[in-house]
Amino acid sequence: MEQDRNLDIILKCENVSKKFQTKHRTKEVIGNINLEVRKNEFVVLFGPGQCGKTTMLNILSGLEKTTTGKVFLNDREVVEPGPDRGVVFQSISLYPWLTVMGNVEYGPKVRGINKKVRKEKAEYYIELVGLKGFENSYPNQISGGMKQRVGIARAYCNEPDVLFMDEPFSALDAQTRYLMQEEIMRIWEKEKRTVIFVTNNIEEALYLADRIILFTNCPTQIKKEYVIDLPRPRDYTSDDFLKLREEITENMAHTL
Amino acid sequence: MKKSDKKGIFLSVLSVIAFLGIWYLCTKVLKLVPENTLPDPVKVFSTFVDKFTNPNPDGGTLLQHMGASLQVALTGYIMAIVIGIPLGILMAWNKYVDRFVRPIFDLIKPIPGVAWIPLMIVIFGIGLQSKAAVVFFSAVVPCILNSYTGIRQTKEVHLWVARTFGGTRNQMLFKIAIPTALPYIMTGTRIALGAAWVAIVAAELLGSTRGLGFMIQQARGIYRTDIIIVGMLAIGICGAFLTAVLGIIERIVVKGRKSND
Amino acid sequence: MIKNKTGRIFEIIFYPLVSILIFLIIWDVGVKNSELSVVMPGPWEVVSKFIQSFAVPIGKYTMVYHILYSLMRVVPAYIVGSLAGIILGILMGWYPVINRILRPLYELIRPIPPIAWIPISIVWFGIGEGSKWFLIFLAAFVPITLNAYAGATTVDETLIKCSKMLGASDGQVFKTVVLPYSVPHIFTGLQVGLSTSWATVVAAEMIRSTEGVGWIIISSMDTNNVVQSLVGIMGIGVVGFILAIVMRKIEEVLCRWNRIET
Repeated sequence: MEQDRNLDIILKCENVSKKFQTKHRTKEVIGNINLEVRKNEFVVLFGPGQCGKTTMLNILSGLEKTTTGKVFLNDREVVEPGPDRGVVFQSISLYPWLTVMGNVEYGPKVRGINKKVRKEKAEYYIELVGLKGFENSYPNQISGGMKQRVGIARAYCNEPDVLFMDEPFSALDAQTRYLMQEEIMRIWEKEKRTVIFVTNNIEEALYLADRIILFTNCPTQIKKEYVIDLPRPRDYTSDDFLKLREEITENMAHTL
Repeated sequence: MKKSDKKGIFLSVLSVIAFLGIWYLCTKVLKLVPENTLPDPVKVFSTFVDKFTNPNPDGGTLLQHMGASLQVALTGYIMAIVIGIPLGILMAWNKYVDRFVRPIFDLIKPIPGVAWIPLMIVIFGIGLQSKAAVVFFSAVVPCILNSYTGIRQTKEVHLWVARTFGGTRNQMLFKIAIPTALPYIMTGTRIALGAAWVAIVAAELLGSTRGLGFMIQQARGIYRTDIIIVGMLAIGICGAFLTAVLGIIERIVVKGRKSND
Repeated sequence: MIKNKTGRIFEIIFYPLVSILIFLIIWDVGVKNSELSVVMPGPWEVVSKFIQSFAVPIGKYTMVYHILYSLMRVVPAYIVGSLAGIILGILMGWYPVINRILRPLYELIRPIPPIAWIPISIVWFGIGEGSKWFLIFLAAFVPITLNAYAGATTVDETLIKCSKMLGASDGQVFKTVVLPYSVPHIFTGLQVGLSTSWATVVAAEMIRSTEGVGWIIISSMDTNNVVQSLVGIMGIGVVGFILAIVMRKIEEVLCRWNRIET
C-alpha cells in the first residue's frame, strides 16, 4: 500500500507563462514553468508573499488562461474549470444558504448524481473530515476551522483527480492551523489524492509535502525542488525537519 | 472592454428608439388606441415644449407649476432636516430622550405621509402650510431614522480612545459620533428628499391651485392625456435632478469616507 | 440574570407605555388649552372612536372590512409587481445585454412616484379596481427591481468560481448561486415595496372609492370630521406596522443562514 508511488504522471505543465496587461505596461507574473505531478503525490508550491502562486494555481485548475504554454490533466488539455479538479479556496467560500450537507453534496448534485448515492457519499466525507453531527448546521453557525473542513469535504466529495488548495489555512489562528495540518494529513493518508497545496508557511510546507517546489518572486519561476522523504507523521522539532527548514528558508531569502 | 461598452451603449440607444418607434406605430400609424387615452410621442414632445410658455388650460406654465411644487417641497423638507437630524442624533446619544421619543416615533413611522393630507388641510386649510406639513411628515422619518442609525454605528473603540485622552461627552459626540454618522445622515437626507417630492405631488393631487400634481389632476378632468404625460415626465425629471444634486453634495461632504450605500 | 430579565421587560413594555401616555397627556392638555380645540379633538376621543370602529361601522363597513378591502387591493397587485420586479432585476443584473436593453426604459419610469401615475391610470383603467391594482403594481415593481438588480450584481466571485470548479453549468450557477445570493437583497426590496404599496393604496382610495382605510380618511375631509381622519390614520399605521412585522418574520425564516450567530 505504502509503495503505490506509481510513476504515472497525472498533471503536466509545459512552458507555462502568464502576463497581465495593465494600462501602461505588461507585467510578467509567471515565467516559463515546467512541472510534472505524479498520481497521489502531495506537492507544495512554496514561495514568498506576493509571487504568482495563486495565479499558478488558477492556471492549473483552469480558472485562468495561460499566456503561453499548456496544462494537461490525464493527457487532456485544461482550458476551463471542470469537476475533474477540485479547489479549496483561501477565503472560506461556502454557500452560506446551504447547510454543511448541502455544501458537501453540491458537486455531485449539479452533476446529476442520484440523491441516495450523493447523500451517502457526502455523509462519508463529512465523517472523514470529522464533522459528523453538524450536517444540518449553516456555515455561520460553525467555526472557521470547521468551515474549512467543510470546504475540504466539498472538494473531496466530487472525487476529482487533482485537489488544489490555495493557502486554505491562512485565515485560521495558529493553534487551529496546526490542528488542520494534522487533519489534512490524516484525511489524505486515508483517502489518497493528488494534492497541489499553496502556502507561504515553511513549517506547513515541510509538514505536508512529498515534494516542495520553491518559487522565486515575480515573475514566478521554479527556483528549486525538494523531495521530502521524512517519515510521517512528521515532528516539527526533529533535527532533519529543522535542517531542511533552515536550508529552504535560506534559499528563499536569496530570491527576495 | 472598450469595444463591448460601445456595443452596450448602441444597444441602449437602439432600445429607446425601438420603444419610441413602437409607441408611434401603435398610436399615430395603426391607431390602436384613441388619442385621449395615449397620444403619440411627437404630440407629447410638442406639448412639452409648448407648456413652457402656454399657461392654458390650467393657469400656469410648466415652470410656474414646477416652481410652486419645489417651493413647498423644499420648505417642508428643510423643516424636516432641521428638526429630524438633531432629534435622531439626540435619540441615539441620550438614553432618556430615546426612551421617551422612540415609542412615539415608532408609532408615527409606519403612517404614510399621504395619510396626513386631509388632517393637515382641515387644520391649516388649502395653502402652503398644510402641504408643507405633509411634506414634513414624509421627510422627517428618514432623517430621524438615518441619523439615529448613524450615531449608533460609532465604534466603542473610538469612544474608549477619546475617553483615555480625557474627552468630554460633548467632544465625543461632535468629534467622533457625528463624523461617523455623517454618511448615514447624508443618505437620510437623500431619501427624505425623494419622500418629500412624492408627498408634494400627492398633496397637490388632493387639494391645490398650483403645482405639477395639480396640473396633471386638472389635465385628467379634461382628458388632456398629453399634459398628464408631460407632467409625469416633469415630476420624474425634477425628482431625479434633486436626487442627483444631493448625491453630488453628499460626495463632497463625505469625501474620503466610505459611503454606506 | 433575573434582574436582567425584569430590566428587559421594563425596557420593552414599561418605558414605551409611559412615553406614549405622556405624549397623549401633552396632546390632551395642549388641545384643551389652546384655540386648536376648535378643529382638533382630544386623544381619548380618538382612541375610543378607533376601538369603537371595530364594532360601529364608518360609512358602510366596520374597520375590519375597510382594512380587508384595502388589503384586497394591495395583496394581488403587490405579488404580481414583486414577481415581475424580481425577474426583471435579476435578469438585468446577471445578463449585461438585457440590462443594456431594458435599463433605459426602466430609468424612464423609476423616478416617477407611483402617486403621480394616478391621473393617467384613471384615464387608462377607469376608476374601478384596475387603476388601483396598476398603481400598486408600480409601487412594488420599481423598488424591488432595483434591489434584485443590486443582489445579482454583487454576487461573490469566488462562489461562482467554486460552482464552476464543482462542475456547474452556467444555468446551474444562475439557479444555485445567483438566485439564493440575491434573496436578502430581494427581501429588502420587498420590505420597501410593501410600505410604498400600502402608502399608495391610501392615495389611490383617496381618488375614488366607497370603502377602504384610505376612504375613511378622504371622506373625513368632505365632512370635516377630524376624529374620523385620525381614526383612519391609526388604522393605516397599525396595519402598516403589522405588515412590516409579518414581512420581517418571513425573512427571518427564509434567510436563516444570513444571520450572524457566532
